[in-house]
Amino acid sequence: MKIVVLLSAGAHPVSSAPVLPRLEAQALRLALALGETTGLHAGPSAAPAADALGHGLGLLTHLATREGDDPIPALVAALKAETPDLVLAGRRGQGGEETGLAPYAVAAALGVTIVADAVALAPGAAPGSLVVEQALPKGARRRLVVRLPALVTVHPGAPAPGAYAYGVARRGRVDTIWGVAGSAAEPNPIAVEERPYRPRPKLMRSAPGTGSAAERLAAATGGMASSGANVLVQPTPDEAARAILEHLRRIGVLAPAVANKPAA
Amino acid sequence: MTRVRRDPRADRRAAQIASLDRPRFDLAGRAADGGPGRPRRNPRTEFAALRVTGAARPRFDRQHRGEGAVAQVVSAASTPNVIVVDAPAFLVAVVPDAPGGRLTQHDRQLFGAARTLAGAHGAVAALVAGEIEGLGAIGADRVAALASTQNYAPDVTAAALASAFAALSPRHLLFPETPDGGDLARRLALLTGEPLFPDVEQLSATSVSRAARGKRVAQRAAPARLMTLGADVVAPYSGPAREGRSEPLPTAEVSAPAITDARRIPADPATTPLTVADFVVSAGNGVTDIEAFRRLAEALGATPGASRVLCDAGLMPRASQVGASGSVLTATCYLALGVAGAPQHLQGVAGCEHVVAVNTDLHAAMIERAGLAIVQDAQLVMPALIAALESERAS
Amino acid sequence: MTYALPVLVFVMVALATAQALRRAAWWRQGAAAEVAWGPGLLALPRRYLVDVHHVVARDAYASRMHAVVAGGLIVATVLAGLAILPSLGGSRLYWAIVALAFGVTAAGSLLVGARRYPAKPRRLSGGRFQILPFLLLAYALGGLAGALLLALGAASTPALIAALALSGVGGLGLAYEVRRGPMRHAVAGALHLVAHPRPGRFRSRLDTALAPLDLDAARLGAETPADFTWNRLLSYDSCIQCGRCETACPAFAAGQPLNPKRLIQDLVAGMTADEPPYAGSPYPNAREVDPPAAPLARLIGPDARIHPDTLWACTTCRACVEECPMMIEHVDAIVSLRRNETMEFARPPEKAADILSDLRGAGEPGGRALSARTDFAAGLDLPVISARGEADVLLWLGEGAYDLRYGRTLRALVRLMRDAGVDFAVLGAEERDTGDLARRLGDEATYQQLARANVETLGRYRFGRIVTADPHALHALRNEYRVFGGEWTVVHHTALLLELIEAGRLKPGVLGGLSVTYHDPCYLGRYNGETEAPRKVLDLIGASRVEMARSGRRSMCCGGGGGAPISDVAGDRRIPDIRMGQAIETGAAVVAVACPTCTAMLEGVTGVRPDVKDIAELLLASMELGA
Repeated sequence: MKIVVLLSAGAHPVSSAPVLPRLEAQALRLALALGETTGLHAGPSAAPAADALGHGLGLLTHLATREGDDPIPALVAALKAETPDLVLAGRRGQGGEETGLAPYAVAAALGVTIVADAVALAPGAAPGSLVVEQALPKGARRRLVVRLPALVTVHPGAPAPGAYAYGVARRGRVDTIWGVAGSAAEPNPIAVEERPYRPRPKLMRSAPGTGSAAERLAAATGGMASSGANVLVQPTPDEAARAILEHLRRIGVLAPAVANKPAA
Repeated sequence: MTRVRRDPRADRRAAQIASLDRPRFDLAGRAADGGPGRPRRNPRTEFAALRVTGAARPRFDRQHRGEGAVAQVVSAASTPNVIVVDAPAFLVAVVPDAPGGRLTQHDRQLFGAARTLAGAHGAVAALVAGEIEGLGAIGADRVAALASTQNYAPDVTAAALASAFAALSPRHLLFPETPDGGDLARRLALLTGEPLFPDVEQLSATSVSRAARGKRVAQRAAPARLMTLGADVVAPYSGPAREGRSEPLPTAEVSAPAITDARRIPADPATTPLTVADFVVSAGNGVTDIEAFRRLAEALGATPGASRVLCDAGLMPRASQVGASGSVLTATCYLALGVAGAPQHLQGVAGCEHVVAVNTDLHAAMIERAGLAIVQDAQLVMPALIAALESERAS
Repeated sequence: MTYALPVLVFVMVALATAQALRRAAWWRQGAAAEVAWGPGLLALPRRYLVDVHHVVARDAYASRMHAVVAGGLIVATVLAGLAILPSLGGSRLYWAIVALAFGVTAAGSLLVGARRYPAKPRRLSGGRFQILPFLLLAYALGGLAGALLLALGAASTPALIAALALSGVGGLGLAYEVRRGPMRHAVAGALHLVAHPRPGRFRSRLDTALAPLDLDAARLGAETPADFTWNRLLSYDSCIQCGRCETACPAFAAGQPLNPKRLIQDLVAGMTADEPPYAGSPYPNAREVDPPAAPLARLIGPDARIHPDTLWACTTCRACVEECPMMIEHVDAIVSLRRNETMEFARPPEKAADILSDLRGAGEPGGRALSARTDFAAGLDLPVISARGEADVLLWLGEGAYDLRYGRTLRALVRLMRDAGVDFAVLGAEERDTGDLARRLGDEATYQQLARANVETLGRYRFGRIVTADPHALHALRNEYRVFGGEWTVVHHTALLLELIEAGRLKPGVLGGLSVTYHDPCYLGRYNGETEAPRKVLDLIGASRVEMARSGRRSMCCGGGGGAPISDVAGDRRIPDIRMGQAIETGAAVVAVACPTCTAMLEGVTGVRPDVKDIAELLLASMELGA
């Protein structure tokens, strides 16, 4: 299977130093386990994506574009020429707009199927097919059989990336060619105003949307009227068990008991 | 907040009685209703209108007085609490995930966001595949049924959404920023060429914002046509039920799906990684009967975790260690049995919404952290919990 | 028959030489190394009689035994060989002297035997080592009998022949053993002392910095034995399998699959195909490996001679190196092997991948913002050097600054320095990790990247000296950055505090009756020989100081070095629990520490235990008491 991993110029989430995005390192790990893999990066410099060589990538094709150019036309043109069976990408970029639209744009331009959020890949039983395991919330999975060619984006729940190794990176190769000149990247079609990010308080999910303000306050601060005090000192084990189960049901992590439960 | 502000001068002028020689005022507003005086309120009838029907004892919904005042909304006579919007100025469409036909909390929040955007003049339309109960109750004025696909076929659903988008032409279309919702939103963005404003972190009727560049900047914009909404950003809609009138959609052309087979694999709490598990039950030094602990975890359907001490002792695998040097949890609930709560351990559960602790020591840090704390020997509570769950199952 | 014994000696020497030359062919498979032969040869007697003896003498019995048997063997053999000269061979007095020498050898052989029979200590290897006392005794008794007969003039031929035969069996056996048996240590050991890879460590000096790796080398680190330099292969051959390293090794004590003795023997066995089977303590709880039969194969791997668990269990505490009477450098070998695993095969410990990647990307192993390093000092108003350009003392905060617990220590240190009026500043957001962790995990490339960046940063500012509370940072800045152009005076905070007290700038109160035991950090005590300053500070604040069973340069590791907490190799117990057990034995109320890693590891011990307090915290407490 011929696989191309799309590599981007990521920024470290804390230091902003140019690094290979973690998702792409994870994609690389999935790809290397599956078949013959090359990397593809479009941008002014190959340096950030070249980290992928240290994760076991043998060949990185760098499509040189001018600073500020839209990389997607160059990627699409190269992929059209290459015709890989499978293209892997991270589900989001790291350090840029982070809209997660780029893989969809590439897939749409190539006219191939896109499958999002893979955590595991395996060759399908039928030739030309791929088994993709998708991550769903709370640890659930969905196993799909996809006809190739396809573009698959990788979810953070995929196996952790392998270690970067300097010696392995030395053995890899970067081929730089001029990429198809795209137009300058379109300015964001939605007019945005940027300001430094400030984390916002999250909504208290436990607080019910209905009820009086006093009830919501009580719920949010945990002082639910029904349980009285929230510390039980030396209850009998049975009392303790009942209190725990009742609490677990109230917060909704435990399925409700069967209807006619003996009165407590 | 909702009180009309008074301009005393204007009031006075309004109360002036036409007279020739000198100004005269009818300050008490004695003129008949509908006269020039201030509108008179009858608190009793207003209060009676707030009464919630069907409740055993009198209950009053005082919260949403504003809703009833909207001009073109009329309460249906038969069901006084259902709000009907007959001729909306525009639509705000919502595509809930509703896995397995059940609405998630995130879906409900989506309706809350849509309501905010719809304001007084718009209507909220739910675009759903298949039958979903209670959409009106959570805030849908309209419900449009998409062609239901047997299997997971996001490309087909996206095509159907694109045709619905063209047909309904909503002012906004909202998706939850979940694996499926986010996927559909991006597919639709490419199909329609409409720009997407993803992962909204803050939403009001006039502006939305999101984080970008590794959470270094916040981008703020007017609400876009296509948006995905992050979890726990907007409170769910909590007003009176809405009509949920069915809205016809033209049937979309269905292409052959590229995904030939899809099977959902439910999360197995025993093997779910601790970092994504929803409900974690964890054993600490106060647990000596590991077998009972495992049975309890299974009975509760929780992912088993452990404190460092138990992992060091080899009683639990290292992968189950909770804490700064083990796994950092994102669980909704953390049930700690006999865990004292070393600082490193508490770092691992910092992200848990609810903590239940069972510990013999009233002064243990974990007891302090817990929402429900039981000062009792975990070794005694575990069999009681197992017995309680078993008796429930038997009855 | 007078010449029979001298002839036997010459045959023995010839056989030993032949065997040694065969062995030398193996050493030469190693990589080239520069060896100063002249100074090495000149230094040999001193290195042997002073430096080696200093280590050997820690076990008094072994020291006496070795002096008697080795001295006797050499003297007797040389004297017997000289009897080839007619003037000597004809002298009955001379033979009496020879007999005396053989007698001493025989007594020594009995001491060797008494150590191994009826039961040998667990740390000693069995196998061929169990035959050694018999060979020695045969050679010595045969020589004694022969020399006595000649001295007495009782030239009874059959008796002489019998004695010579006995001596021949023993002597030739010993000579034969030079290639693969216990006697290899004598030849290899002597050569090793001449060609030692770290000549700087003799004369009671310290040479503990890891050698930088040439990142352009064809192969990074050691994959097979042939990747070690020849003199290191020679050093591994000098191992006498006395097992002192395994007694000192914290990982071995904790039941982790590491035994330094076995490791060295595995390196030796990996060179040749015909090494006799190892007969000492195994790697505890080791997983099965399937070693290839071919010589010079890959050393590390589940399918190679050494399981990766063994490699990653090491805390790089150097306790084995400190205890080795043959001056073998185990930690260098471990690091060479780790470099290969990490950089050529991308197989660092599982949890290390993210840590190394954050070190590369963010200059910090936890991926935290560098500017958050000074968060511990909220309200203390730390002066940052970039705002001033110079300072008397540059305070290097290290990784401990991110730790909530260790923040207390650093706050105490900052307050003490303020009280004493020290003009100090920190680098603030310009301080990166020293790369110590990356280096010990074998990622030399990341280490060098960080080292160069730090040297460049420090070069921009003017300061008198660097003070740090982190011995790992101290070791890197003082010893390991030198090759990257960083030469500064680097002082540990305990030394600075002592200096301030002695200069009268800090006036400690008296913590009367507080019993304290001091835990020496490996990177301060063993790596840098600083064991006194912290103890003096403790004495000056009036703590009643008790010593643990292992202290000073022979202290035991907390289990936190060398990335061991990251590799987290399973064992029977945890190293910090063992160390805390030793502290509890002293009955002290407080374990005094001087290192963020030790603090974290010892604070992680659960149950009833002494408090863990840094020297700076204790000193501040005493001052607050005195004030």
